[in-house]
Amino acid sequence: MKINIKKISLLLATLIVIVGCDEDYLEVDSRDDIEFEDSGEVVTPEEMVTGVYGRFTGFSYAFSYLGVSEIISDNSDKGSSPGDTGGDKNLLDDLTHTTSSSSIRAMWEEWYKSIGRATIAIDYTQNYENYDANLKSRLIGEAKFLRALHYFWLVRSFGDVPIQEVDLVERAPESEVYAYIINDLQDAISALPVKSSYAPKDVGRATKGSAQGLLAKVYLYQENWQAAYDAANEVIASNQYDLHPNYAEIWRASTENGMESLFEIQGRGETINHGIQQYSQTQGARGSTGWGWGFNTPSENLLNAFDAAGDDVRRDATIIFRGETLWDGRVVGETENPMYNEKAYSSLNVGDGDGDKNIRVLRYAEILLIQAEAATHINQDAATPLNLVRERVGLAPIAAPTVQQIWNERRLELAMEHDRWFDLNRTGQAAAAMAADGKTFVNGKHELFPIPNDQLIQTPEMVQNPGW
Amino acid sequence: MKARLVLFLFFLFSYAVSQAQESTVTGTVTNAEDNMPVPGVNVLIKGTTRGTSTDFDGKYSITAKSDEILEFSYVGFKKQSFTVGSQTVVNVTLQNDIESLSEIVVIGYGTQKRSEVTGAISSIKSEELLKQPALNATQSIQGKLSGVNIVNSDAPGAVPKVVIRGVGTASAGEQVLYIVDGIQVTGITNINPADIETMDVLKDASSTAIYGMDAANGVVIITTKKGKKGQTKIELSSFYGAKTILNQVRMADANQYVTYFNENQTAIGGDNSYQLAPASQQPANTDWYDALIDVGFSNSNNVALSGAGDMSSYYFSFNNYNEDGILKDQDLSRNTLRLNNTFNFFDNKLKITSSISGAFTKSTPKPFGAFNEAYRQAPIVPVFYPDGHFGTNDVNRTTGVQGFLAGLGETIGGLNSVGNPVANVFFSNNKNKATDLQGIIEAELKITDFLKFTSRVGMTKAYGRERVFNDIRGRYVVAGDPVSDTDQQFQNLQDANPNNTQYANNSLRYTMTENFSYNWDNFLSFDKTFNEKHTIGALAGITKGKRDDFYFAETTAYGVPSQEQYWSIEFANGNYDNVSTQRFSTYTTQLSYFGRLQYNYDGKYLAQVNIRRDGVSTFKDNAEYFGNFPSFSLGWVLTEENFLKDVNGLDFLKLRGGWGEVGNSRVPFNQFRFNTNSGSNNVNYVFGVNQDFVLGASLGAQVFPISWEVTEETNIGLEFRMLDSRLAGSVDLYDRRTNDAILQVRPVLNSPNDANFFDSGADITNKGVEVELNWRDDINDNLSYNIGVVYSYNKNNVENVKPAYDGQIGGSLNNGQITKRLQDGQPLYAWWMYEAEGVWQNQAEIDNNPRVGSPKPGHLRYKDQNDDGVIDDRDKKFFGSYLPTYNLGLTLGLNYKNIDFSVDAFGAGGNKIYNGLKGTRIDGGENITADVFNERWTGEGSTNVNPGANRDAIASSYYLEDGDYLRINNMTLGYTLKNVIPDISRIRLYLTVQNPFLFTNYSGFTPELVGNEDGAPEERAGIELSAYPNTKTFLFGVNIEL
Repeated sequence: MKINIKKISLLLATLIVIVGCDEDYLEVDSRDDIEFEDSGEVVTPEEMVTGVYGRFTGFSYAFSYLGVSEIISDNSDKGSSPGDTGGDKNLLDDLTHTTSSSSIRAMWEEWYKSIGRATIAIDYTQNYENYDANLKSRLIGEAKFLRALHYFWLVRSFGDVPIQEVDLVERAPESEVYAYIINDLQDAISALPVKSSYAPKDVGRATKGSAQGLLAKVYLYQENWQAAYDAANEVIASNQYDLHPNYAEIWRASTENGMESLFEIQGRGETINHGIQQYSQTQGARGSTGWGWGFNTPSENLLNAFDAAGDDVRRDATIIFRGETLWDGRVVGETENPMYNEKAYSSLNVGDGDGDKNIRVLRYAEILLIQAEAATHINQDAATPLNLVRERVGLAPIAAPTVQQIWNERRLELAMEHDRWFDLNRTGQAAAAMAADGKTFVNGKHELFPIPNDQLIQTPEMVQNPGW
Repeated sequence: MKARLVLFLFFLFSYAVSQAQESTVTGTVTNAEDNMPVPGVNVLIKGTTRGTSTDFDGKYSITAKSDEILEFSYVGFKKQSFTVGSQTVVNVTLQNDIESLSEIVVIGYGTQKRSEVTGAISSIKSEELLKQPALNATQSIQGKLSGVNIVNSDAPGAVPKVVIRGVGTASAGEQVLYIVDGIQVTGITNINPADIETMDVLKDASSTAIYGMDAANGVVIITTKKGKKGQTKIELSSFYGAKTILNQVRMADANQYVTYFNENQTAIGGDNSYQLAPASQQPANTDWYDALIDVGFSNSNNVALSGAGDMSSYYFSFNNYNEDGILKDQDLSRNTLRLNNTFNFFDNKLKITSSISGAFTKSTPKPFGAFNEAYRQAPIVPVFYPDGHFGTNDVNRTTGVQGFLAGLGETIGGLNSVGNPVANVFFSNNKNKATDLQGIIEAELKITDFLKFTSRVGMTKAYGRERVFNDIRGRYVVAGDPVSDTDQQFQNLQDANPNNTQYANNSLRYTMTENFSYNWDNFLSFDKTFNEKHTIGALAGITKGKRDDFYFAETTAYGVPSQEQYWSIEFANGNYDNVSTQRFSTYTTQLSYFGRLQYNYDGKYLAQVNIRRDGVSTFKDNAEYFGNFPSFSLGWVLTEENFLKDVNGLDFLKLRGGWGEVGNSRVPFNQFRFNTNSGSNNVNYVFGVNQDFVLGASLGAQVFPISWEVTEETNIGLEFRMLDSRLAGSVDLYDRRTNDAILQVRPVLNSPNDANFFDSGADITNKGVEVELNWRDDINDNLSYNIGVVYSYNKNNVENVKPAYDGQIGGSLNNGQITKRLQDGQPLYAWWMYEAEGVWQNQAEIDNNPRVGSPKPGHLRYKDQNDDGVIDDRDKKFFGSYLPTYNLGLTLGLNYKNIDFSVDAFGAGGNKIYNGLKGTRIDGGENITADVFNERWTGEGSTNVNPGANRDAIASSYYLEDGDYLRINNMTLGYTLKNVIPDISRIRLYLTVQNPFLFTNYSGFTPELVGNEDGAPEERAGIELSAYPNTKTFLFGVNIEL
């Protein structure tokens, strides 16, 4: 018996050794996720830059963006059904938006995330080895243009904003942000090819002209008239652009990336569909004969402005009227709202989630208007560029335009193109325009959007804008 | 009569005839508790080796001299001695020995006497568990143990949420560690509660640290039954029950609904509003809950056979458990088998124990969403149309009559967007099967008197199969406009889209899962007393294990024949592609070393130190992936001191305290990756004149090194027994802190990264008090009673949140509204919303005050907390936790002769719960409760509390209600017959009502809201949206002992 016990003890002692000395046991290979180093995946700089453009296709541009650029202004109303607030679109329409308005928060976040992607793409491209140097330089140029564009959208909305690459909390003064934008744009101008030298497969990328045009607009916001004038002139002198003869066609699929286009956001309407998510749907006519949600509807105020100017061409190209028959033969029928945004209308995809609609971000007509406005301040010829724009839509030329006349022209030419609210604030017309539209604009407060409350919860040291 | 044969055989073995000499003493030994004869009692003449034992009738016969002393001893009873004298008949009544048997506590890798325990451990015994019959034993311990909060759902097969001493983690696993007969498992649904001997809950870190990285949420140790020495025991028990909904909420009837609907439409106004015709013209006045809910039946049959000889013991059981839900056809049945054996070899030096069990479960689940639909669907919608189609939400907007009939120029619309709950239940066709096999083998070798070696292997294998059949055609046919030939419409669609699975006749999905885990423990234990006063215990061991070795395979096919017997992938329609997927999990392995040192000075001073060193494969990327978890505890038995020894009425008093660190290895991880996607996603874009689709990429979530969470806890406790042990109790105070708990963090809004990531970023504290009191008194031989109170209080708090990590939101109501927020200084994911302060009475009031959006009169108004004239997120307020701060359990027991009666109650509260059923309305056509109707705002001055028929859908404190409740969860009346029927030694009949009464001010169905995602705090825990209602059950049962 004793012997047996000993044998068993020995056996068990051996077990302990077997169990204990086996720390390799803890090396378990991943089976449910392919680890990055095992994936064989190679991400090229080109893909990373594509990813920066990709953010344009997010839902923010199809919904929140409408609220902060047009619905808030005198150009358009919330639209849709009275009970459907669209989150905070009713508040923006009433100019009663708050620090927790979801649209403002969404765009704040959207623009910063795009900036983040651009910066990461720039670093990634710079450090990527064995890659075509010319392509590298162009890609960095594209990313810098995109970064500048998003900073521009931020600074004109919020004023002083943190420069993400410097500090997430400290709000850099507007002038510093603009200097940063100009620096990026100048880099982009020198790195990017002109529009016509892109291969057909690369149409839609940022061009030298895109950067020059944006630079002109940036200078305009800074009231650096000479620089704005010169930058606009660079675009004009490049001979890459012209006005499309028929205004009504500018927002149709046939003119995408056409002669008038400096930069636009691309949408694809065929499988694999990849549009600016729901952009045409959110603004599509609402009701049993409609095809969309019916948000961002042109206002009575805008209609009156067109009518007062006798501007039938741009009115009919901008507004879908209840009951009308559209250019492609579609009968609009008895819709819920009297007017809809025709510039968001996609003939092919109508109310599809992913449609072919391209958003025209910057087009030649605006460059002419920038030049005209700058010219009035530096005693240059404002009439020529302005009248090119007017003549296209059959309006009489103005021999000696005033600044106010150019501003009015901007409103009608660029109506529903996501510029109005910022233009009103840039030009100081906001308070009067809002009063005329029946809203209360608080001076010293409403010029800028509030920093979103969610941001302040995360970074309590960040200073809120005055009045909020 | 086979049972009798077994008894007879046993009798042959155990019965020993003593040799006759001088005088013969005979007698019967009975149990004081039930007056039953006790077989196998050792009868020994003191100071000699002469002895015998009682037969199976408890009788003995022994020859002794008149000056000799007879000693009667039996495990679990107090030893008794009698001098023979001139007696020839000595009948003995044995008293239970509480100290020795019932007060053994199972601690990790060993046991300890209750009186010597230095940590916070609560225990429950078999009979207490069985009083509340349930599928899963954790359902039965609600309200029985302090510090153990059970949130129950009465759905068949639901696994209750067990929270020990508050929730201490935000993103890591919250599940309790279960130890079954020494082996780590993740759940105990496979265990028949009748097989459980004891459940010991290790609550404080000084006790749980021996389980290291798995122990942060507490440890529940389950010991299954073993055969006991004595005659073979056969136990038969059965119960039958019927259950109905406990706390039905009365909904508005057709009349009230129409009024409410029309008031809303009037308030909306405009071209699109319309009015319903009076209820008398509507086709139905449906009570949807009546239509939906059935009486559910349950029953259970249990057979257990057990016994032991000198060399071995056995316990065999079979249980069949059936439970219906209260939804039609919802059911669950489970069969369990268990065989527990012990064998002794080599003079009892080697003991082999095996526990083998199998659980086989079948269930037909039904969608709980039906409860939500029954709440919301309009009473004017009929369950069925006259032609047999299911009622739909159609309404003729022109005439205002529910239905799909429309004359020329009339339009049909939807009353609401709610489905027909009866149809939903009807079309849900799922069958689930689960098989759980568990086997544990343990060898315990006594190397010397004081040194033991134990090796133990336990394995659990689980198989699951799920079948989901979806009658696509059937749904279309009855969902569509019933006037048209919807079957033909569907056929046309199918013909036009021959490969589109949307128009297949049906879909069939099979999901197969397998899961495996095992543990292998090896340890040495030492136990020796020196100089009669110093007892030293020591333990050293190694364990390795593997868990979550998971296999998943799923195939979906379309267009199988409609008869159930052909529901195989094999018979799918060839026009459609089958969809299959299969995957493995990354399993987890663990290798750990543990040790313990115990010191006991004369039962007076107690000390214990534990250490565990844990390595878990999940952390293999960390530089150091072994963690050490130390703990210690001290105890002082004051009643052993001279100054308290002789205090009248004080039987036992112990002060104990401990500290320990435990870990949580079930943490989420970040993985470095680029985001890529092949579809319409915001990393891709379109370039080129042809607008080609171009793939792009972006950087994924930030990766922070993640390690296990560490929870530190200090515990101080006092245990006492007084007044001749009639009053016993304990008080515990604890302070638990999880340092650097892992949060799922939304990156700072203006930072470059766009994906959420995990990082350690906050401390979570739980501080509390626990009290257990038991009073037990025997008034006379016929009458005894006991009263028990269990109370615990816990305060949860989030502290030291890293900058920029504050403000994570949760508690989504699925309508764009959120209700919870994680913030420094608040309980974990505390309620956070607007504070409702009255109702807008008129437009002028609205125009002159801060408001949210564009309210109408009759809407709730919200408080401008910071008085800045604007209501935004800064005006949202914290309203405390969804987790109860206190739990209360009450027990009352009464025994009079053969009658036993008991009442148990359970209560919880101090928390808030959100009535999401009441609050979330999407289109205003949903039904409301009768109370909402009766109390609504109907015009200026009518009420300043409740909103009108037209109201907003904003989350606010109006829908947040006190979560306090007290439920009588068990009332039982039993009657026991002993030795009345031949061959049956004991029979007990009982009647039980489970959950007969619920006392609460909450306006919904149940204040126990587990939520989704296993009750994750950031999800819908504490929100009622489609919770299963509480049910009350009437049970009749019988227990028979042979």
